[in-house]
Amino acid sequence: MATAAASRLLRRALNPAVARRRFSTAAVAAETPPSPLPSATGEEEAGMVSMKGVRISGRPLYLDMQATTPVDPRVLDAMLPFYLSRFGNPHSRTHLYGWESESAVEAARASVAALVAADPKEIFFTSGATESNNISVKGLMRFHRARKHHVITTQTEHKCVLDSCRHLQQEGFEITYLPVRPDGLVDLGHLADAIRPDTGLVSVMAVNNEIGVVQPLEEIGRICREKGVVFHTDAAQALGKIPIDVEKMGIGLMSLSGHKIYGPKGVGALYVRRRPRVRIEPQMNGGGQERGIRSGTVPTPLVVGMGAACDIAMKEMNYDGRRISALQERLLNGIRAKLDGVVVNGSMEHRYPGNLNLSFAYVEGESLLMGLKEVAVSSGSACTSASLEPSYVLRALGVDEDMAHTSIRFGIGRFTTEAEIDKAIELTVGQVEKLREMSPLYEMVKEGIDIKSIQWAQH
Amino acid sequence: MAVASVPLRAEVLSLLRSLLKTARKFGDYNIREYARRRAVDGFRENKELLDPSAIAAAFAEGTSQLEVAKRQASVYTLYAPSAKSVMEIIIIHFGNTGRVVMIATA
Repeated sequence: MATAAASRLLRRALNPAVARRRFSTAAVAAETPPSPLPSATGEEEAGMVSMKGVRISGRPLYLDMQATTPVDPRVLDAMLPFYLSRFGNPHSRTHLYGWESESAVEAARASVAALVAADPKEIFFTSGATESNNISVKGLMRFHRARKHHVITTQTEHKCVLDSCRHLQQEGFEITYLPVRPDGLVDLGHLADAIRPDTGLVSVMAVNNEIGVVQPLEEIGRICREKGVVFHTDAAQALGKIPIDVEKMGIGLMSLSGHKIYGPKGVGALYVRRRPRVRIEPQMNGGGQERGIRSGTVPTPLVVGMGAACDIAMKEMNYDGRRISALQERLLNGIRAKLDGVVVNGSMEHRYPGNLNLSFAYVEGESLLMGLKEVAVSSGSACTSASLEPSYVLRALGVDEDMAHTSIRFGIGRFTTEAEIDKAIELTVGQVEKLREMSPLYEMVKEGIDIKSIQWAQH
Repeated sequence: MAVASVPLRAEVLSLLRSLLKTARKFGDYNIREYARRRAVDGFRENKELLDPSAIAAAFAEGTSQLEVAKRQASVYTLYAPSAKSVMEIIIIHFGNTGRVVMIATA
């Protein structure tokens, strides 16, 4: 009898239509239980999710905001009309569809410009920060190919900047990859010394995607302005999170990304200074859209989404910033209260609070991640996680190989709740303790043996 | 354009109640919590406003956000995934055998 009642209760609880009908009101018309979406995952029976041999009881809690962010409902609301009835091409000059599309694009451009204190004429829409980085590095240097042959960047830049620089090296340019200090910040003295008369570009990212360190943009901008070099910054992770002012920071070129500020994927922007004018060679040739800087139809819904995301970010920057700082503190204190041997990678003072990169000593990184399937976090950056080598950013900080392998990056965002942070602490601490219990290395450390002084026997 | 009028106390409370009711309709755990929290914090921040035009502007902003929330609650319901977030799932263990008896949604 108990089992019959239990199975009835189970069926009611698992049936989403029944649960939803209890809360539905007449006002919202679309409350009819929807037909189930084509399932993207392997199987979804009884609410369990099973994919790639891993079974979890539900969708993991999301703490990977540096990889991407969920689209804000207000952004989606702004975008949808342009997928439904206002589907025109913004470059069609002869009919209403084109006119309304163009005016939406220009309004979005103004929103993006306002967030960085720029003029709308200085903002160009691209397919993302990677494309903007490519245009900045390669486009600028190729334009000034006759007189400028040198680029300065840092060892912790995003892969697309480093790869573009490597590409330029093959074309005959010289690149200086500046090392960073152990706290992740670039040494301003080294930067100033590295600048030569034929330096065309200095590229330093504003907020690092892996460790969350914020570079001293105003000082770098001042040095570049004094020496007459263009300053490019990859502000994909910084936009809408820390205040950016292109005048105060002396920025000549800036890459922006839509999907890091709760906007859609597939859109980004490039800021190109007009006074004094920064000249670049376009990398996408075609019909001359975006003042010839980037040809190709401007994707109106995506651009409108990015504009809406920038509007929201401007209004919510203080509120979100305060909340995220408090959540980061809660996470760090919660983990440190229960575990020792936890190291924060990168400076704590010059940090964007939503990015916390921790290394756990005496624990193996892959096994830690395998046990954390109910929390969506990452180790290393998404771009390089396919390979097994430890992150080059951590290597540039001088982090030991074994600590670099056990690094986990927690990304906190606008929609993260205290309950999620508490659950993440519980799961992480549990998994680390379990692994350390099994680890003979940890036993030796507890007995007081210094691991680095051990002579391992050759077999 | 018509000048926005200062809302009555009852209207302001009714707006907050509608926002919270609409927030509950979101199927997505994170959006639902955010909508509820943001509405409460937004009203708390503006509690001390004295200037009538500022009050009217905040009320108008709240009303338009309510429209956005109602529309998006429908959209999120239409496209809700069949698996719930782990934050919404209660796993009940049977005694101390560790056997999972029931998985229910919060």
